[in-house]
Amino acid sequence: MSAGAAPAELELRGVTKRFGGVAAVDGVTFEVAKGEIVGIIGPNGAGKTTLLNCISGVHRLDGGDIRWQGASIAGMAPHRVAGLGIGRTFQIVRPFGSMTVRENAAIGALFGNMDGRRGIKKAFELAGDVLELVGLSAKADRPVSTLTIPDRKRLEVARAVATRPQLLLLDEVMAGLNNVEIDEALEMVRAVHATGVTVLLIEHVMRVIVGVCRRAVVLDFGQVLAQGEPEVVLRDERVIQAYLGERYAKRLKS
Amino acid sequence: MIATTDSQRRWRRIFLIVGAIVAAYALLAPLTSMDAAQSANVPLLADKFWFRIATYMVMFIVMATAWNIIGGITGYAAFGNVAFFGIGAYTTGMLVAKAKWPFLVALPFAPVVAAVFAALVGLPLLRLRGHYFAVASLGVGVAVGELVQNIDYGGQPVFGGASGLFLPIYAVNNRGLFFFYLMAAAAAISIAVTWWVLRSRFGYGLIAIRENEEAAAVLGVNTTAYKVAAFALSAALTGLAGGIFSQWNVFINQENAFPIEYNVQMILMALLGGTGTVFGPAAGAVLLQLLIQFLGGSLPISIDLPFVSTDAQPIVAQVILGLLLVVVVIFMPRGVIDFFGGRTRLSLSYLRRSLRETSL
Repeated sequence: MSAGAAPAELELRGVTKRFGGVAAVDGVTFEVAKGEIVGIIGPNGAGKTTLLNCISGVHRLDGGDIRWQGASIAGMAPHRVAGLGIGRTFQIVRPFGSMTVRENAAIGALFGNMDGRRGIKKAFELAGDVLELVGLSAKADRPVSTLTIPDRKRLEVARAVATRPQLLLLDEVMAGLNNVEIDEALEMVRAVHATGVTVLLIEHVMRVIVGVCRRAVVLDFGQVLAQGEPEVVLRDERVIQAYLGERYAKRLKS
Repeated sequence: MIATTDSQRRWRRIFLIVGAIVAAYALLAPLTSMDAAQSANVPLLADKFWFRIATYMVMFIVMATAWNIIGGITGYAAFGNVAFFGIGAYTTGMLVAKAKWPFLVALPFAPVVAAVFAALVGLPLLRLRGHYFAVASLGVGVAVGELVQNIDYGGQPVFGGASGLFLPIYAVNNRGLFFFYLMAAAAAISIAVTWWVLRSRFGYGLIAIRENEEAAAVLGVNTTAYKVAAFALSAALTGLAGGIFSQWNVFINQENAFPIEYNVQMILMALLGGTGTVFGPAAGAVLLQLLIQFLGGSLPISIDLPFVSTDAQPIVAQVILGLLLVVVVIFMPRGVIDFFGGRTRLSLSYLRRSLRETSL
């Protein structure tokens, strides 16, 4: 029931999602303990984002179960999942275009986690704090249309953090960033984690996985291929095969 | 929604003061028609003819402001809001004409029935997005009017059928004045409701839905409940206008309670004035209604359009309205209210910039 010493906060048991005849996520089982940072990696089309959509309630499951703090959340609407303390970002940023940066974050604070919902004034205060955390304070009153891509990704994280999640699902927040920006983003993820938030992140940048994750789950064709410590998992022959093809894996071995 | 600077605030204040003076004049001028004022030799500033146009104008302020809640703030282009106007009109009409209720007791049922109906059709309809919702809501608008006219029970039309519904004339002194002020009160309520919505948690949720529905949902906005609530609120205000209209006009039928052209007009008014704002739709309603009355030849000042016979004038008016809709949508996506905030000025470069924004 538990991964290591800490009890599992999020449990996925045989999670399956089909699109037509294709099983995008096929019987995925793993657990995330409270306070962990877990990375999900895998080749394009492995079902990483679909899995995140299943957890956050954007997709309905076709099989299996997802339990959050002991109770099933499978089939729950996204706003109810958010209300239970699971926040998420989108791979392709989805800012509220007519609003300022601060207002965007305030939406997360106004809604989000159902414990301690707050008034508008309090929500804007919290939004200010969160923008400080992700390093967007200086741009708080700008319209989002003026933000650069890295800043938009920050805002995506800020909005999710403003919902006061206990678990944060990050979908490739580092994709498309340069090395300096990745370091800044890593700092941001560490800062958010330091506030006591469990993090489950999808990432293509191996440096990120090795840098912040204590554990990685490898998906391929919708199934869990391997999981464990990032350094160990990344040396796994099946993982190399999935990424680089059978021939290259053999050559690497010999 | 963007932060304001001092100069913008000053412009906004000037705009509000001018608006308040115009509104005060429009609200107070009719009082000079009362007998007491006339015997005291106060000059007549507004006559009966004026009431009719003014009451229509205020009625459209209610409808455009109400449409703004679902169409402007929530971003769901409802093309069938006239259904709620008609439902409000027929609710009050039936209660007064058939059940013999006093008008002011029957009136509150108009918004309630319209809102309940909107919630019921909204649940399935609001699952559709974009133009699918627009077309489906248009269908509802047409269907309700047809149903009301054609439902029979035991060989008798339930709602008056094709011959319509006659209400007993409401016995009150200064009838024209009374209904003008009643409609103005409805307009004040709808503007106040919009003002409240835009400052509330509810309103922030609606704007989030308009900007990106999926993002709103994962941030914790109960999108279905919020959309249905916005639709019902919009319907309630529209229904209230319909309820007042039925008693004011004394006679209602499918043609005057479910006019399809109102659908387009209220949307055009909101677009012209500025969607998503508190006063935009009201400003648009006044401007457009003046234009409609002018083209229809109902205003004291009128022009003879060249090459157009008097009979064809209403048709030409419709054509001009249609053209205006196209021009407004393309060149002024944020409405005329955009020019009164002090942030932007009407200029060729503004129109060019808008064209670039709206033509993908």
